[in-house]
Amino acid sequence: MNAEADKAADGARPRLEMRAISKSFGGVAALRDVDFVLKAGEVHGLVGENGAGKSTLMKIIAGVHAQYQGQMLIDGKPVHFRSARDALDAGIGMVHQELSIVPDLTVAENVYLGKQLTKGGIVDWRGMVKGAREQLASLGIVVDPRIRIGSLAIGLQQLIELARVLFSGARIVILDEPTSALSPPEVERLFEVVRKVRASGRSIVFISHFLDDILAISDTVTVFRNGARVVTEAASKVDKVWLIDRMIGSGHEGLEESYTDDIALDSKPDAPVILSATNLGAGRAFAGVSLDVRAGEVLGVYGFMGCGQLELARTLFGKNRPATGSLALEGKKLRLRNTAQARRAGIAFVPESRRSMLFYSEPVYKNVSISVLDRIARLWLKPAEERRIANGHVASLSIRPPRVNVLLQNLSGGNQQKVALAKWLTWPPKVLVLAEPTRGMDVGAKEDVVKIVRKLRDQGMGIVVVSTEPETVLSLADRIVVMKKGRIVREFAGEKISKDRLLEAA
Amino acid sequence: MTVPLEGTDSASGRSQALAFVRNQMRNIAPFATLIVLVAFFALASPAFLSMNNVANIMVQISVSGIIAVGLTFVILCAEIDLSIAAVANAAGIVVAYFTLQESYVNIANVPLPGWAAIILALAASAALGLINAFGLTIIGIPSFIMTLAMMQIAAGICALLVRGQIAYAVPDLVSTLGSGSFHGIPWIVIVLCIFLAAGHIVLTYTRFGRYVFMVGGNREAAEYSGVNVKLILAAVMVIGAVCSGVAGMLGVAYFGSAQQNEFDGYLLDAIAAVVVGGTSLFGGRGGIGNTIIGLLILGVLNNGLDHINIDSFLKILIRGIILLLALIINVYVQNLRESERATA
Repeated sequence: MNAEADKAADGARPRLEMRAISKSFGGVAALRDVDFVLKAGEVHGLVGENGAGKSTLMKIIAGVHAQYQGQMLIDGKPVHFRSARDALDAGIGMVHQELSIVPDLTVAENVYLGKQLTKGGIVDWRGMVKGAREQLASLGIVVDPRIRIGSLAIGLQQLIELARVLFSGARIVILDEPTSALSPPEVERLFEVVRKVRASGRSIVFISHFLDDILAISDTVTVFRNGARVVTEAASKVDKVWLIDRMIGSGHEGLEESYTDDIALDSKPDAPVILSATNLGAGRAFAGVSLDVRAGEVLGVYGFMGCGQLELARTLFGKNRPATGSLALEGKKLRLRNTAQARRAGIAFVPESRRSMLFYSEPVYKNVSISVLDRIARLWLKPAEERRIANGHVASLSIRPPRVNVLLQNLSGGNQQKVALAKWLTWPPKVLVLAEPTRGMDVGAKEDVVKIVRKLRDQGMGIVVVSTEPETVLSLADRIVVMKKGRIVREFAGEKISKDRLLEAA
Repeated sequence: MTVPLEGTDSASGRSQALAFVRNQMRNIAPFATLIVLVAFFALASPAFLSMNNVANIMVQISVSGIIAVGLTFVILCAEIDLSIAAVANAAGIVVAYFTLQESYVNIANVPLPGWAAIILALAASAALGLINAFGLTIIGIPSFIMTLAMMQIAAGICALLVRGQIAYAVPDLVSTLGSGSFHGIPWIVIVLCIFLAAGHIVLTYTRFGRYVFMVGGNREAAEYSGVNVKLILAAVMVIGAVCSGVAGMLGVAYFGSAQQNEFDGYLLDAIAAVVVGGTSLFGGRGGIGNTIIGLLILGVLNNGLDHINIDSFLKILIRGIILLLALIINVYVQNLRESERATA
């Protein structure tokens, strides 16, 4: 009803219209009754926290999720996509954060990927090079189409992927976090291309965590929160603070409540520095990172997905080798050639994915003992001792079921996460690096993790918590550094902080 | 949570039993295969189960068995070594090269005391294994390709040392262990049993053995647990090569001659024994117990096919088919595990 009134008011039929879309995953509602209107020739910014529902909506539009309630119309005609192919045929293209170009092929081959030009059954290389050059030039992209695409800068690769999506006939293009890996000039160039696309009457959905970028390029902004559309407004009428307020919301319940209020950071500037990084850099991932990890303090490293914080965590554990800069542990220079050296030096790491930390078809006790095996046994294994140690952790962390011979795959996710933590607790390390320690956990399990981390901190351990979720960092950290595109841009210490200020800094 | 319905318990009991069978499929299938083969050949040929023939089978599997012990370590780490037979050949030729040959043997050999020749042969195989390890862990060449190159290199060493000739003499110790017997038991079988036992003990009861299983089970997790994955991988490549070296020396004594290409059939036999026994090609599952069953299956098959009247050319085909079946089971069991994990 409302939508039709809007239509009459606008006088033009929207390019895409979503009516009362709902979608749930296994009983959990991801989208609730969402209406969404995309006009022809508009850039529509989409903002919201992780899990707010913006990606789910876009996946429905792009045909990835075929099961949902509600109606979808393109140019006023109802459609229902069963696959990404369907959506592409209807003129909807998506450029994901992870590019889907083929790095070893040339620019021209990538532009014509899947639909090579042929002349009498033979690939028409000349025609493809010419066509690609012209098409790219029409978007203001000047590049030799014969060059291998993998040798180009990320920003250029992304533009070429966008170009490919456009050439495949897309009238609606969804850009998912397009600026997260780009330098400021690259961002500006992307915006120029986006403006050209808009001028041609095509519509663009622009999803990003970078609110400045959203405001700079969008005509309209829609805010999502907890699976619902909160508000849609002309971008010229709003600013960053207004957006953050709407993203976080005011009336929310439980754990999250505390984060809208100011939290006093309990930094300990006098505590001895255990691990310090000086001017650390690694390729494109991050550069010029200097930080100190202090005893008895939790250092939070916050940043959006892809800002280099996970790579930084791996570098601290010796999984990746830094290209520049150095590490020092308790004042002594530390050169980590592999993870075994990091472990022996007293650094522990729990990666963001449990899968890359645990042995699913092995019993719990072997999972717990693997990282301390050299302290339990020299040559001969001592399974009884391993079980005794594991039993201690199972009891103190209340892991369920409380038996150490069960295969790990039979434990629930939260209990698996506790096992991943327990691996390092038998002989406490000096520094514990946790990546996304509470991702995908329910509230109870999150609180357990918070309690465990606090206890370890109070024992004098230096802890680094790396996360893309503001709640995780806010609930755990005593000091917070914010990373943005591979660099530390802000440090919060000994002051009050709230979620909106954290988001604003990133 | 919902209240469990009546009957759920017995259903879950049954599914648990089913899960157990599925879990043990890797061990049950090879064992059943062995029983069926033994029963079949025992019925088809009365001489098959005679004491004499059983002893024959044991001797026949000895050389490939010693190679298979090392290869079990490699495959448990989800790597492969295609150079094992060539390295065995090289070790056998090196030991002969450093032993005084009869005057009619036309090889420019360098006679050394027996112990020195043995040490040199072992060192040569260890060195070849180290080169494999270097290529795999430092340079990052996949083991399949690295050891394919090593196969050629080891064959080249063999060719250069013997230059198309045949050497016969090996040090006394090697010739005793390869072709002598101890109170009626062939020494080579005793050596096989020692290697199998040692391999089993190392894999099951030592820290290194645990690391081998963990690296094979989830290499990334092992690395994030602070295990020196590259060191473990390097060690298994060297173990594989040294086992091959021992097998090569004893094999030369067993055959009575050292020449080019005499171990070619053992590459397939050793890989087949490990895989047919149920050790996962994807790493982390299996062990020496599985390898023993695999060796027996291959030994019984090779020996049994000689006892029944069958076209000798057909035998090759039958062996191939049995190997294929084992591979199918191996991959099938792996898929079962993956799908179970996905649903868990």
